[in-house]
Amino acid sequence: MTSKNETGPLNAPTLSKEKASSPLSEAWTKFRANHSAMVGLFVLVLIMLGAIVGPLLYPTDPFELVWRPFSPPGADGFLLGTDYIGRDLVAQMLVGARVSLVVGVAAAIVTILIGVAVGALAGFYRGWVEEILMRITEFFQVLPTLLFSMVIVALFGASLLMITLAIGIVSWPAVARITRAEFLRIRELEYVTASRAAGATPAKLMLKVILPNALPPIIVQAALMTGSAILFEAGLSFLGLTDPNVMSWGQIIGSNREFILQSAYTVTIPGIAIFVAVLAIALVGDGLNDALNPKLRQR
Amino acid sequence: MSFLLKVENLRIELRMRAGVAPVIDDLSFELAHGESISFVGESGCGKSMTALAIMGLLPEGIGRVASGKIWFDGEDLVAASPARLRHIRGNKIGMIFQEPMTSLNPVYSVGEQIAEVLREHQGLSRKAAWAEAIELLDAVRIPNPETRATAYPFEMSGGQRQRVMIAIALACKPKILIADEPTTALDVTVQAQIFDLLRDLRRQTGTSLIMITHDMGAVAEMAERMIVMYAGRKAEEGPVDKVIAHARHPYTQGLISCVPHLVAHLTEERQDLNEVPGIVPGLAEFGQGRCLFASRCARATERCLTTRPEEIAFSDVHRSACWHAEGM
Amino acid sequence: MNDLIEVRDLSVHFEIRAKGIGGARRNLTAVDDVSLTAKRGQTLAIVGESGSGKTTLALAIARLASGKTTGEVRIDGKDVVSLTDGGLDWMRRKVQVIFQDPFSSLNPRQRAEDIVREPLDNLTTKTKAEKAEIVDRFFNAVGLRPEQKRLFPHQFSGGQRQRIGIARALSTQPEVIICDEPVSALDVAVQAQIINLLRRLQDEFGLTYLFISHDLGVVQHMCDSVAVMYMGKIVEHADRLQLFNDPQHPYTRALISAVPAVDPDLRNRGQKLALVGDPPNLLNLPKGCRFASRCPLAEPRCFETEPPLRVRVGGHRVACHLVDLGPEASAEAVSPSAPEFP
Repeated sequence: MTSKNETGPLNAPTLSKEKASSPLSEAWTKFRANHSAMVGLFVLVLIMLGAIVGPLLYPTDPFELVWRPFSPPGADGFLLGTDYIGRDLVAQMLVGARVSLVVGVAAAIVTILIGVAVGALAGFYRGWVEEILMRITEFFQVLPTLLFSMVIVALFGASLLMITLAIGIVSWPAVARITRAEFLRIRELEYVTASRAAGATPAKLMLKVILPNALPPIIVQAALMTGSAILFEAGLSFLGLTDPNVMSWGQIIGSNREFILQSAYTVTIPGIAIFVAVLAIALVGDGLNDALNPKLRQR
Repeated sequence: MSFLLKVENLRIELRMRAGVAPVIDDLSFELAHGESISFVGESGCGKSMTALAIMGLLPEGIGRVASGKIWFDGEDLVAASPARLRHIRGNKIGMIFQEPMTSLNPVYSVGEQIAEVLREHQGLSRKAAWAEAIELLDAVRIPNPETRATAYPFEMSGGQRQRVMIAIALACKPKILIADEPTTALDVTVQAQIFDLLRDLRRQTGTSLIMITHDMGAVAEMAERMIVMYAGRKAEEGPVDKVIAHARHPYTQGLISCVPHLVAHLTEERQDLNEVPGIVPGLAEFGQGRCLFASRCARATERCLTTRPEEIAFSDVHRSACWHAEGM
Repeated sequence: MNDLIEVRDLSVHFEIRAKGIGGARRNLTAVDDVSLTAKRGQTLAIVGESGSGKTTLALAIARLASGKTTGEVRIDGKDVVSLTDGGLDWMRRKVQVIFQDPFSSLNPRQRAEDIVREPLDNLTTKTKAEKAEIVDRFFNAVGLRPEQKRLFPHQFSGGQRQRIGIARALSTQPEVIICDEPVSALDVAVQAQIINLLRRLQDEFGLTYLFISHDLGVVQHMCDSVAVMYMGKIVEHADRLQLFNDPQHPYTRALISAVPAVDPDLRNRGQKLALVGDPPNLLNLPKGCRFASRCPLAEPRCFETEPPLRVRVGGHRVACHLVDLGPEASAEAVSPSAPEFP
């Protein structure tokens, strides 16, 4: 029952872009066009490759005493030299990358899970649910983060799991606030009302309708969170609040810090690695922000 | 007769990812002292761009006047310096926009915002400017202007905010007032009040009015002449009554007949609305050497698809850019 | 007469709470004791300006208003205000909504076909194949091509998006469709396409429309009867010819005469009923008639008592003290301009 004057010119303007392009594939196109973000992504992939494949190609045990202490980089055949008790820094850096990245990503996941759950419930249900959840969020937000995480680690032991959880627990309020703000905004949009008119249950509204549309700023926050979790772990390690049997970049800095004056490279090398990794993650996060931001996406 | 504003072969180009597009393509028109004209068309036809070009407010780095002249009071605005344009904007040409909420600064009271314009452009003292601001609020028929002058934009209704915008635009007694969809965001009873106000102010001050709108009814009520724009080009130009009674361009006819206008004597009978199929082409198609309306036009012939229609004059005042204008 | 929708004494209240703990609470009544009826297969228009409560009323009838709703809404004789779960699903299958803004009413992360299928997924137990068949049918019915099903909303123009919204509303084969300003966000040429489509679909599927609009021209073209709202109240409720040819309430007359007219006959009538001032604050309503402060005809009693909605000859309902109801009393006696609205 299509009238004849509709079939022709009406649809003509869209003929050129008949291929379905999802919001995600469009975001990727935009991301690819962003040079600094692509450099960040390239560096990040390099670091990840090093972390995954590196220790296989360079099987020296990072805890084994292989040579005399404080052998400078390049001397005696050790590319990055040895640390204060004569362990190979290359092996330490490669294995340390694994731990630093895993802690960063895992802590970011914990942060997102708690933050999104709290923010989504608060923003969706409003009323007393929101009141209670946001008061709790504020409580966690005003806690001195470093001190609080030190307490957790001190109480429950300095295992990687505890460190990850500690970082997650002190970091989630920011995510909760962002998520709540997005939910408050999106729940007023007509397509949410339309889904209600189409009979969607509250769970479906939250998880399938609102959450996917709230994701962009949360994804960006997750990327930035990964960077700051790596820094946070390094900070805790530097303070000695870490598992001495696990090698991470922060751990390398922490264990060598007393000898910083006589062998600066033992601290500088992991320091630069952390800096580069966090910078790369920040560039990626910034690129994601531009690519996913609907205001910038228009034409 | 000397014209207050004379636009000659104006071409405005917008820079896009895929190249430049002529968002205004060879536009010429005149505006006499005290005259009221309307630009009509769907969104994306270049109506607002024309206004911004006259104001020297084209989006920086994206839009530019590629060729043509805008003569205002004997001066070419295309060649004018930014400082000169600022002076003209403040003193000679005023503009009001569609959304009065976003064009007012939320942190200053409306009186302060009017007074500020007066001090800047007329060099009035603080006290004189405030007194004049209250006069202006009274002139745009805001009740209790002394107290309302201290109100902030959020404390006012949409209609009152638009009145404040008109007060600001009129503060320096401009020769031209440009109104870009001034009542689109307002209720119809408030629109009627604003139209009344604009009509009265024109009578009192002799200001010329350029109104941009998509509403044929508003054109019929407010303007003496109208220019129908389509895809950056002038489709038809002429006296409002003449064009509405006998449009010489299929697009104008479509614009008039596709809207269900109120009729004075309603009957049971109801026919389907006349449809203009399709939508305005995207910017990428602007500027091609053919009739850009042809794809939506029931009269289109081979010639329309290959050659850009020339303007045909039906009297010294009525012109249409359509190959079939004479047969209509 | 067969009334499909019967609304009786419907009110919607919102609690406005000042910020902070223990902030003052105030009640805003967006829809105040509204009663109306719509006949099966016809279009009832609800007309009003911003703040009149017309959209809230429509959403309340569809059980989508966020405020507290009291009163009765009968769809096909069944009260829907108190429905829950299964009953609500029944009602949602029967009553669907077309929204105003085609750019915000479609979920940007769903493909067109998923959007159209959503009500079927949630409200019916149909098989995948049945649902696909229905989606195809309504895609065609609204004038979209099958290959556009996989596209995302941002790949469509405004008019095409509105067609998707219409197909979604049709998918459960409802009897009632609430059209909330369905064309006001569209360009004029596209408006005509959508209006014609809505009228064709009404004929084809025997739909009953509740048509919310502020555009009297569109209403005059679309509706069979009209309810005019002002500040949460219905001030006039009549069939199409009565309302437009013989408007009784001063607000209705002001509204009609405020529309800029292309028709020179209308324009030169020269007796516009101009309103002054702005509507009162809903949180702080005056005593008496809500329209009195802007009414050019108001008398002292209008500021004292609120006029009820009374039935005039021919089922024409008006809430105005100044309107005479009797069949013998000619309209001129109460409204000097009535003869000019033959």
